[in-house]
Amino acid sequence: MFTLIIGGSASGKSVYAESLFSPGQHNFYIATMEPFDAECRERITKHQAQRAGRGFETIERYRDLAGLDLPQRGDVLLEDMGNLTANELYSPQGAGDRAVQAILAGVDSLLGQCQNLVVVSNEVFLGGKDYEGDTLRYLEVLAEINRGLAARADCAVEMAAGLPIFHKGGPEL
Amino acid sequence: MIFITGPLFAGKKEYARSLGYEDADIVSDAQERVKAQEDLTALADRLAQKPVVICTEVGGGIVPIDREERRFREQAGRLSVLLAQRAQTVVRVWCGLPQVLKGELPCR
Repeated sequence: MFTLIIGGSASGKSVYAESLFSPGQHNFYIATMEPFDAECRERITKHQAQRAGRGFETIERYRDLAGLDLPQRGDVLLEDMGNLTANELYSPQGAGDRAVQAILAGVDSLLGQCQNLVVVSNEVFLGGKDYEGDTLRYLEVLAEINRGLAARADCAVEMAAGLPIFHKGGPEL
Repeated sequence: MIFITGPLFAGKKEYARSLGYEDADIVSDAQERVKAQEDLTALADRLAQKPVVICTEVGGGIVPIDREERRFREQAGRLSVLLAQRAQTVVRVWCGLPQVLKGELPCR
């Protein structure tokens, strides 16, 4: 079962994603945010506290999802695709122009290694396209990844005000 | 007329093509046409004669500081409302997934 969750800032995507996991299973949390500065570390600490007690083992993976071997079969929460995409596009060790293929291959690899996969991605496509520099390229790449994920997903959810809107599949799945 | 809306790069035009429409049947990025300063009702009436009209949702994010950009977003939003009122069918495409907001899809 593959669930894709997409929402804007503070739309409740993480809390909803975590609610899909039960403690007592082998739950893996794939963290994608590199702790570059104090704000990143603060955000990471907040998310760690939020998921404490849910039995997640955290795996930090900033790039090359396809090269990741899970320690054992279990359920996986990957958060979030906006970060992973930026890492692949802009980090010197990233996949660069092949970011879309690299990430979708990584997700396919994960799907083969776990029971349930939940991927959290970002809604950043409602503010027009008058952006400086490379932002539009980032949006285009993330959108292609989101569409690829939605095509693969059993359940695709848009978050609004903490509530799920089901575009594909439903809560019963 | 089928009106298709949705976020940027969501796969709106690909969806219109998947319904069997040729590019000549499709007006895409219709929201850009509000920049011509035409009366919005007249513009919507004219666009409603086309088989498929597509607008990208642009009203999210921060309200721009620039007056012209602000005006564009507002006019684009109003145009979408006018087009949806005139359309037999309204579809919002999100991540390549269509959701019918009004009417029914034509059998083609």
